[in-house]
Amino acid sequence: MSNEHYLIVSYFGVGLVSLCLGIVVYRVLRGPFAAIAEAAIGRLRSRVLTRALGAFMTLAAALGFLSVTYTEKGCVNYEQVVKKRDYLIRANQQQLHRSGDWIVSAVFLWCVVVLICLLVPRCAQANRRDRV
Amino acid sequence: MSSHSIAFLVALVLSILIVLLIDRLLRHGLQGLLEETVSLPAATEFYLRAFVIVLVFVAIGAIIGTSFDLKDGARFMEYVWAIASLLKEVCQNVLVVLLVYVGLITVLIAALRRRQ
Repeated sequence: MSNEHYLIVSYFGVGLVSLCLGIVVYRVLRGPFAAIAEAAIGRLRSRVLTRALGAFMTLAAALGFLSVTYTEKGCVNYEQVVKKRDYLIRANQQQLHRSGDWIVSAVFLWCVVVLICLLVPRCAQANRRDRV
Repeated sequence: MSSHSIAFLVALVLSILIVLLIDRLLRHGLQGLLEETVSLPAATEFYLRAFVIVLVFVAIGAIIGTSFDLKDGARFMEYVWAIASLLKEVCQNVLVVLLVYVGLITVLIAALRRRQ
């Protein structure tokens, strides 16, 4: 397989893997998250939040993948990029690494969203109790 | 299989073992703490799953994101040092993630206990 062929196959392959990582994380978290959101804000609104979780995870994975540039912001031309196989493998590793980093950040962010979802009903309860 | 691939696989297996060990050590206590604090099983499940996802991604990401700087024909101990350097990255990243997670759980407990 020539380096150019490898570049094309690996770029789309790693892109697909990154997206799949985002989707897998969404599928793992969707069940408990939907239950929390439903308990906090009702079924109708919880659907929106659950879909937002899916979109967020997928976008985070895609963003990580896309944030790696082969040409180092124009410093390296195409011929130099395809010259070394090691460089291409390294770029693929970086793409997966960045995708993972973005997914981790997204998971932490959604942990905060869950915290807010847990606080909302308790605040409402406390307010009701204060009024009585 | 080249020596580079073997060293990479050894580092990967060791980092997975580190993740499993941390998960095994903390899961039981964390689960009890969360169950007591949030009193919503789905929330406990969410935070436990998030914990595992974050640990796995960070550990494997550290292995994938760091390259071996080894020439062909490197000696045995050079491979050991390369693996040790990768494991240092894994431990460092796992430690940062644990700190963030502990911070998050502390905020969660403080906020919910205050409401209770």
